[in-house]
Amino acid sequence: MSGALTVVLDASNYVLILMLVALGLAIVFGLMNVINLAHGEFMMIGGYVVLLCHQAGLGVAWGMVLAPLAVAALGLLVEQLVVRRVYTRLLDTILATWGLSLVLKQSISLGFGPGSHSVPNPLPMAVSVFGQPYPAYRLFVMAVTVLVLVFTFWLFFRSNLGLTARCVIANRPMAACLGIDTRRLDRFTFAFGSGLAGLAGAVMAPLVSLDPQMGLGFLVPAFLSILVGGLGSVAAPLAGATAVGATDTLVATFFSPVWAQGVVFTLAIVLIRLFPDGIATRRRRVV
Amino acid sequence: MTPHPQAPAPRRRPLFDAELRVAALALGALLLLPALAPVWQVSEFTRYFSYMLLAASLGWVWGHCGLLCLGQGVFFGVGAYGMSVVTLGKLPFAPALVSSWAGLALGVGLAMLLAWLLGRLFFSARGIGGAFFGIVTLAVAVIAERVTINWDWLGGFNGLMNVPALRLGLNGGEEILDETASYYIALAVLAACLAALMALARSPWGRVLLAIRNHEPRAQALGIDVAREKTRAFTLGAALAGLAGALFVTQFNFASPPLIGFGISAEVLIWVALGGRGSVVSAALGALLVRLAESWLSQQLGDYWLLVLGSLFLVAVIAAPRGVFGFARAR
Repeated sequence: MSGALTVVLDASNYVLILMLVALGLAIVFGLMNVINLAHGEFMMIGGYVVLLCHQAGLGVAWGMVLAPLAVAALGLLVEQLVVRRVYTRLLDTILATWGLSLVLKQSISLGFGPGSHSVPNPLPMAVSVFGQPYPAYRLFVMAVTVLVLVFTFWLFFRSNLGLTARCVIANRPMAACLGIDTRRLDRFTFAFGSGLAGLAGAVMAPLVSLDPQMGLGFLVPAFLSILVGGLGSVAAPLAGATAVGATDTLVATFFSPVWAQGVVFTLAIVLIRLFPDGIATRRRRVV
Repeated sequence: MTPHPQAPAPRRRPLFDAELRVAALALGALLLLPALAPVWQVSEFTRYFSYMLLAASLGWVWGHCGLLCLGQGVFFGVGAYGMSVVTLGKLPFAPALVSSWAGLALGVGLAMLLAWLLGRLFFSARGIGGAFFGIVTLAVAVIAERVTINWDWLGGFNGLMNVPALRLGLNGGEEILDETASYYIALAVLAACLAALMALARSPWGRVLLAIRNHEPRAQALGIDVAREKTRAFTLGAALAGLAGALFVTQFNFASPPLIGFGISAEVLIWVALGGRGSVVSAALGALLVRLAESWLSQQLGDYWLLVLGSLFLVAVIAAPRGVFGFARAR
């Protein structure tokens, strides 16, 4: 019983982080039709900002506040310099962002060294959940993630900005004709999506070892989540993230972490094949 | 009967277009190299030929057929490991079979099988489109590396060492250790494969693939079985990549997980993007260019070499999508 609770909590932890990462990717793709292969590196940089703050003596907490802002700023820069020039050619956006991911990886590797670093856990105590001890920090991560996801949904569905965004997603030329500044919205969206990744990386920093190659380990499951869940609605990638994340944690716990990725990938392929538009999409998305 | 005044006169494609001219020039230079260069450089070039073949295979799959494969290195690795496993006598049911030919068959065959399976899975029906296919192949590369690292029979993290050189006998025989002989064999294989690809690109099938690349729904509407042709083209690309890997490991004598994973897939993508994705020859020359630049510049730039390479790649994608040797054939 205790084991089951721990497994459920661990799975929720991973699923929520994956949702955060996948949501950022999905928003950027849905609005701008840009596939950002550097998204994993944005997450990595979020983690390294926390490391930098820790090394500079500012403390991990400040790092977690700064990281999403710093990564969002980086996203703005990237949008202006790279994405803007290739966004009409979809395959080239993949290549350009992928080249960017190489550049970012190498820059971090040169700046911090190719090895791994770790960041201390700001909440090292354990908290009692239904009578079982569970790391407090993981609960904090889940709480933060849920809050941010709820905020994102609120932003998307209840604010004027969200309404504007939904207009642009529905019909970009028409939205532009109606006077919406699509250019500014693009910038904001890309920065926001990147900021989400930065936040994910920042909160995960005390739980994982930071190394320049960690981005790919989150990018692949995030994309698989999007492919499995589909893009028919903002919630669809979250369904995919649940499927992918839950499978990964369960297989890693009951078999081994080595099998986990293989099983997840095979399952994802099967689901994609059976549901080409995603498991959560009912109508066909017109891209 | 005079032709309709508004119909343009049919244009005959010149037999020796830019691609063929550059290919002939390069071949001529490479044929002369062993006479002019030191032996260690001849060995290096022999390995470069495998890389060039790999790049050509990606140039075919991506440049000509429009299939963005971010995991072409997987087929290279499969070819390498296939060759290694057989020539080291590691086949569990036939340990006496150490023929290089069998190794070649296994390596290339497995690569083709994998590609065919992926193609069947992802190109059929309302299959995965170009962008997402790239992501899926990326995932395949990541997972292939992970699996290989954890598979003891393949040597795990350390890989398989002391892979013998090419042996022309039916089952074993003398290893070809002479650098010049290996050089010309590899060059011959590369030249033959490039010639085949160039011929295919100009053939009716090549035209069908171009049609699919340029506008898939229109090709479908014209009655082309898009899924089948894409799978065939992808399988051919994988076969050549597997061949490149099998050849490479006879030179390098060592098969390890980096040969099958994200790293090599990333590298070959850079070679093709920088060299020019328009033709298989420019892709192959891109590989040569980057490898030569790396061996000259990485001493000076040290750790910064990868950063420079990534930046060049980024600039190339944004500003020069046709690449350095971007003399794409008239399309």
